[in-house]
Amino acid sequence: MSCHSPKNKSKNELNFKDTINIALAGNPNVGKSVIFNQLTGLSQTIGNWPGKTVERMEGRLEFLGYHFNIVDLPGIYSLSTYSLEEIVSREFVISEEVDIIINVIDATNLERNLFFTFQLLELKVPMILAINQMDILRRRNIDLDFKELERIFKLPVLPVVAVHGTGVHQLLEEAIELVVHNRPHRHSREKRLIESKYHGRPRHHSRRKRSIESKHRGHHYYRVEHALKRIESKGTIKKSFTFPELNQITSFGKEVELKILSLIEKINNYEQIVSSCNYPSRFLAIKLLERDLEVIKIFTDNEEGKVIFELSQKYREELESIHGEDINTIISSEIYSNIKKIIDLVLRTKIKKSRERRTLADFFDHLTTHSIFGYLILIAIMFGIYFFTFSLGDFFAEIMDNIFVILSDVVYINYGADNNLVKIFWDGGVGGLVGAIGGVLVYVVPFFLIIEILQDSGYLPRAAFLMDRVMHSLGVHGKTIIPMILGFGCNVPACAGCRIMETEREKKVSVALTSLVPCAATMTVVLGLVGRYLGFYWVLILFLINFSVIFIVGRILNKTLPGQCTELIMEMHEYRVPNYSVIFKQTWVRTKEFVFKAMPIMLLLGIILEILLIFNALEPINVILSPITVLWLGLPAITGVFLIYGILRKELTLVLLSILASSLNVTLLELLTPIQMIIFSLVTMLYIPCFATVILIAKQTNWKYAIQISLLEIVLALFVGGIINFGSLIFISF
Amino acid sequence: MSKKSNNSKTNKNINVSLTKCLTECENGEEVVVLRVNAGRNAKTRLANLGLVPGVKIKKTKNAPFKGPLEIIVKGSSLVIGRGLASKIIVECNGACLT
Repeated sequence: MSCHSPKNKSKNELNFKDTINIALAGNPNVGKSVIFNQLTGLSQTIGNWPGKTVERMEGRLEFLGYHFNIVDLPGIYSLSTYSLEEIVSREFVISEEVDIIINVIDATNLERNLFFTFQLLELKVPMILAINQMDILRRRNIDLDFKELERIFKLPVLPVVAVHGTGVHQLLEEAIELVVHNRPHRHSREKRLIESKYHGRPRHHSRRKRSIESKHRGHHYYRVEHALKRIESKGTIKKSFTFPELNQITSFGKEVELKILSLIEKINNYEQIVSSCNYPSRFLAIKLLERDLEVIKIFTDNEEGKVIFELSQKYREELESIHGEDINTIISSEIYSNIKKIIDLVLRTKIKKSRERRTLADFFDHLTTHSIFGYLILIAIMFGIYFFTFSLGDFFAEIMDNIFVILSDVVYINYGADNNLVKIFWDGGVGGLVGAIGGVLVYVVPFFLIIEILQDSGYLPRAAFLMDRVMHSLGVHGKTIIPMILGFGCNVPACAGCRIMETEREKKVSVALTSLVPCAATMTVVLGLVGRYLGFYWVLILFLINFSVIFIVGRILNKTLPGQCTELIMEMHEYRVPNYSVIFKQTWVRTKEFVFKAMPIMLLLGIILEILLIFNALEPINVILSPITVLWLGLPAITGVFLIYGILRKELTLVLLSILASSLNVTLLELLTPIQMIIFSLVTMLYIPCFATVILIAKQTNWKYAIQISLLEIVLALFVGGIINFGSLIFISF
Repeated sequence: MSKKSNNSKTNKNINVSLTKCLTECENGEEVVVLRVNAGRNAKTRLANLGLVPGVKIKKTKNAPFKGPLEIIVKGSSLVIGRGLASKIIVECNGACLT
């Protein structure tokens, strides 16, 4: 991660490339992503934290002669062990991979945001406070005293308007200052300059940003000052940094504080912890009181630690009986009362707030949560997603197919259509690629776009608000409606969207249910077969069966997966205009990830299937599957292979069927009886999700679960298909 | 447990205030949280978001069909599932007399 290769720009310039590793931390929806995008642009990559299913967004940039590695941590509210995101974040921050934290704070929600700040302070890592959305605060005629904040926190506090780009690069300058001086620096002249600059809305903010940057590029202060200091990253910035003494603000009430101090003393005497653990003693003391599972593990490893642990529990019980409250509630209350004192000192409303003005955002809020309009809008959005996919995706898919056909003719003319090599590489390889792009990517990209827009604008919590009740009857969390709605377009990004679930259990359930939602590809099959030959009412019936299966699977998972369904607790932030730069960049990054991770596998599958086709290995497959396809489902034997192809792309089942029909010069109606059409469509809807979805399920949970769900769905599909088959046979014989 | 009922009795006698659960509040009503009778996890998550005994909150809306509630805590809007909301005991300051 830290690269120490100096780059020689010119003979006169000194080599001073060093690396600073930054973590962006803050509550959800504070504008972290906007800042992250501004800083890292297209260098972003999405990965996973090693061994975990939490996303890791990283990016790089070079600024003023330094390399910056920036990691955008997930938006969280505290550093407990409630969710994987919190655990991953705190372990990362304390590790050698982070030199500086930039805590992004929403100025319009200062009290709640500072709660997380206080949690971060306990880690004693060099920190810069970035107060974002200052423009909105100004608009509300509220003043924030930055000097006072710096005096209180003894750390750099900077104003930022991320959507305009103001103040963002100043954060990096501040980081450089911290690195060089090893202590928080004083309020500089430049900072005061920037503060006055964010008044009003700059028209050409990109120009402003560039001008600020160019001013600094020519600024020799950094180059000369830092030239001779070569800083070794990997934890030394942290070690040489004197974290300010913040007892004044972080101390709790006497009873709690005394117990914490006593624990700190014991911990400091405990050799093993002091040497091996990176967490500060005060942090460990507080977490022990709060019964933090990960911290308890550290202590109960051996005898000495257990003594301290037991003492902490004794203290906890004493405190709980004094206050009559849970320890977490006690400590949170203490933190909030400390925060209140700070707020009273730094926040000032300039004009007496008159009657609250209703804004457009309020209007949309009422509309989308209305008892009638809310649901209508929800249904409209669901259809909208489906039509958006269907039309945009189809449009591009057709273009791709046409190009492929034209090119295929050229290839066949030059190399022969029966050449096995041609078949493998062109039909299988390139064909598979075209299939992956034309069949999946063109649907998936509009999706990533829609997800980002819905998420950024703030609609999704409103959907969860409306549907929580229904979701509970499914035994599922209210937020699950969100990926399920998206599943109507394409299951692939919808399953990726299940990352918003807070616990593993919720993730598992949502991912399973989302994969059962009929996506646009599945709908193609249903409409093209049942809709076209049997009428619309049968389509509705199939839908009903599909939803019943979703309901049943929800119930099954609810009973079998350990743990309870958690209650909905969700922040609903104001509607806002989506930031297009962020949306496009995020969509691009996710598309890149999909292209590099999922598509190679699909390509491989396409080639394999083509090889099997050449060597006529498919006929045996039909024979092997015939007990299932013919006997159990009552379908013609040839459908065996089509269903296998359907694993790659669901609509292939219908596509291949149509190809067969036209090659035999019959219509689909002659190939399949109505009952067979129904069974075929149902099986396509319910059996294993398309392969890309399976990969995504595995990414969100693990491969074992992905396989389990796939098997469950296959079994269900066969079960339903079989019932209909035998049911119809019995019915007919009457 | 007994501590709680003592408190509410005393409150009723001295302050003429009404103790009820969040789900019984009207839209737009401002109340003070007395306690949260939920499990540890839910309590902690609520506490992290600022919902602790003694804090003033305002109930803004109800989802239809007995769905979740929306409240304003510390300046931000939270949605809480109905089951959990019914376990949040609040006190209104004499302004509401149902």
